[in-house]
Amino acid sequence: MSLTISCPICGKRDGYEFRFGGEERGPRPDEEGLTHEQWCSYVHMRINKAGIQREWWYHQEGCGSWFTIERDTLTNLEVEGREET
Amino acid sequence: MLCRFTENTKKAKNKLMWQRPPLKGSYDAVIIGGGLHGLATAYFLARNQGMNHVAVIEKRYIGFGGSGRNTAIVRANQRTKENLPLYAEGLELWPKLTDELDFNLMFFNCGNLNLAHSEAALGSMRLLVASAQFHGIKSELVDAKQCKEIVPILDISDLPTYPIMGGMYHPPGGTVRHDAVVWGLARGAARLGVHIHQGTEVTGINVQNGKVTSVETDKGKIHTPRVLNAAGGYSTLVSAMIGIRLPVHVLTIQAMVTEPLKPILHHVVSSGAYHCYANQTLKGEIATGAHMDPWPNYTTQVSARYIKHQAEALTDLMPCLKGVKFMRSWAGLADMTPDMAPIIDGNNPIQGYFMDCGWGYFGFKSGAVTGKYLAEFMASDQCPDILAPFTLRRYENHKLMGEIANPVNYGPWN
Ligand SMILES: Cc1cc2nc3c(=O)[nH]c(=O)nc-3n(C[C@H](O)[C@H](O)[C@H](O)COP(=O)(O)OP(=O)(O)OC[C@H]3O[C@@H](n4cnc5c(N)ncnc54)[C@H](O)[C@@H]3O)c2cc1C
Ligand SMILES: [Zn+2]
Repeated sequence: MSLTISCPICGKRDGYEFRFGGEERGPRPDEEGLTHEQWCSYVHMRINKAGIQREWWYHQEGCGSWFTIERDTLTNLEVEGREET
Repeated sequence: MLCRFTENTKKAKNKLMWQRPPLKGSYDAVIIGGGLHGLATAYFLARNQGMNHVAVIEKRYIGFGGSGRNTAIVRANQRTKENLPLYAEGLELWPKLTDELDFNLMFFNCGNLNLAHSEAALGSMRLLVASAQFHGIKSELVDAKQCKEIVPILDISDLPTYPIMGGMYHPPGGTVRHDAVVWGLARGAARLGVHIHQGTEVTGINVQNGKVTSVETDKGKIHTPRVLNAAGGYSTLVSAMIGIRLPVHVLTIQAMVTEPLKPILHHVVSSGAYHCYANQTLKGEIATGAHMDPWPNYTTQVSARYIKHQAEALTDLMPCLKGVKFMRSWAGLADMTPDMAPIIDGNNPIQGYFMDCGWGYFGFKSGAVTGKYLAEFMASDQCPDILAPFTLRRYENHKLMGEIANPVNYGPWN
C-alpha cells in the first residue's frame, strides 16, 4: 500500500511529495553545559520504534510546511486522528 | 520392498544440513540473529576459538533478514583506510571458505564497473582508486571508451539523461550466492557443535552488576555470559532491550530480477547518479537494485515507483534491455548509520554485550571476515586492531568515518 501524508495545509497527498524529517526526539538540548554524549544522543541516536511513532515531515513539493504526524512503522501507514501527545 | 527403497533414498536425499537440538538452559555464548554475521561468528567461535557451546537464536528462519535478500555483490574498493583492509580480506576469504565449508558458494569474480556521469564523480573515483591501490587492491580509472570495451551493451553516446564520462573498474569483485553462504556457514557451525534455534525470538537481555547474565526468549531463559546483537535491521530493537541507543535508522531497500536472458552482461555495473546497479546471474536473470524509501519502516514492501525508475535507469544505460520483463521484486531492511560504516563493539559499557550492526546495504560482502575477527574478540575479550575503529564511541567523539563521500553522492548535480 502506498504512503499518503496529511499536510495541515494541503490535505492528504502522495507520500513522495514529502521529505521525511526524522522521529520526534524532543527539544534541541541547551548549549549551556552540553556534553559530547548529550549532543551525540540528540544528533545521531534513534529509537526506530516498531509501531506508531510521532515524526516530522516537510512538504517539499507542496506548500513547504514542517509538521508532525503519526505513522505505524509496521504497516507504513499514517495513523490519523490522534492528538499530539 | 520397492516402496521401502524409495523411502530410504528419499530420507538420504533430505538429510538435514543442521540438526534441531532442544534449547538448553545455558550456553557459553548466545548470538541473536541467524543472518550471515551471526552464523559466521558462531562458526568461527567453534572453529578458531574452541568455543563450541554456542547458540544462534533466530526468530524466523536463517537468512530471513538481509542475508537472504541482498543482491550478493562483493567488492573491496571502499574509501577509507579503516574499511579497506577488512573488505580486502573479506574478498580473499570467499574461495578459502568454499574449500573449508566444502560448500559451493558460487564466488564469481567477474569484476565491478562503477560509472561516472560527472567531473565530480570522476574526482571522487580518483581518490577511491588511489586509496585502493595504496592498499594493494586492484582498481583503476577508465574512460568511456574503455567502459564500452568492458561492458559492450552500455550506451556511451550523449543520448542517456546522464551520459557516461568514465568509470572505476575493480576486477577482483563480483558476486557470491547469498543463500549458499548462509547454508554453508550454518552446516559448518552445526557440525562443530553450534546449536541453531530457528523460530525462537529473543525478548530480553538480563544484566547484573554491569555484566550480561542471561537472555530471555519466547521458548525460555538461557544463562550466558556473552551475547551478540547481530539482528541486522532489528538491531536497534535488540539494543533497546539493554538500554543502548544506536545511531541507526532502518530503511527498506528494494531489488528485482528480470526474466532470464542469454549471457549479455558479464560484470557488475553500477551508477551512483542513476541509483542503479545490475549484474546477470548464472541463471540469466538481470538482478538489479536498489532503491530505498527514505522513511524508516519495518515492512518489506516494494513500490511501483521504483520498478518504473529501475526500468528507466537500466534501459537508459543499456538500451538493448528495452522490452525485457521484470519477474520478481522484493525488499529487505537496511540498518543505516550516518557514516556508512558499521558499528562493532563489545564489553562497552556492559561486560559480555557485543554488537555487530549498522551494516546498511553493504554488509554481505564483509560478513564472513567480520565474524572471524568478532569471534576472536568475544573469546578473548581483546578487540582485534582491524575492528577497533568501528567502535560505537566514535560518534560521541565526533570521529565519523569518511565512507559517506563515495561516488553515489556525486552526480551531475554537484
Ligand atoms: C535488497 C538488498 C540488497 C543488498 N545488496 C547487498 C550487496 O549487494 N552487497 C552487500 O554487501 N550487502 C548488500 N545488502 C546488505 C546485506 O544484505 C546486509 O548488510 C547483511 O545481510 C546483514 O547481515 P546480518 O547478519 O547483520 O543481518 P540479517 O541478515 O538481517 O540477519 C538478522 C537476523 O536477526 C533476526 N532477528 C531480529 N531480531 C531478533 C530477535 N529479537 N530474536 C531473534 N532473532 C532476531 C532476523 O530475523 C534476521 O534473520 C543488501 C540488502 C538488501 C536488503
Ligand atoms: Zn502542504
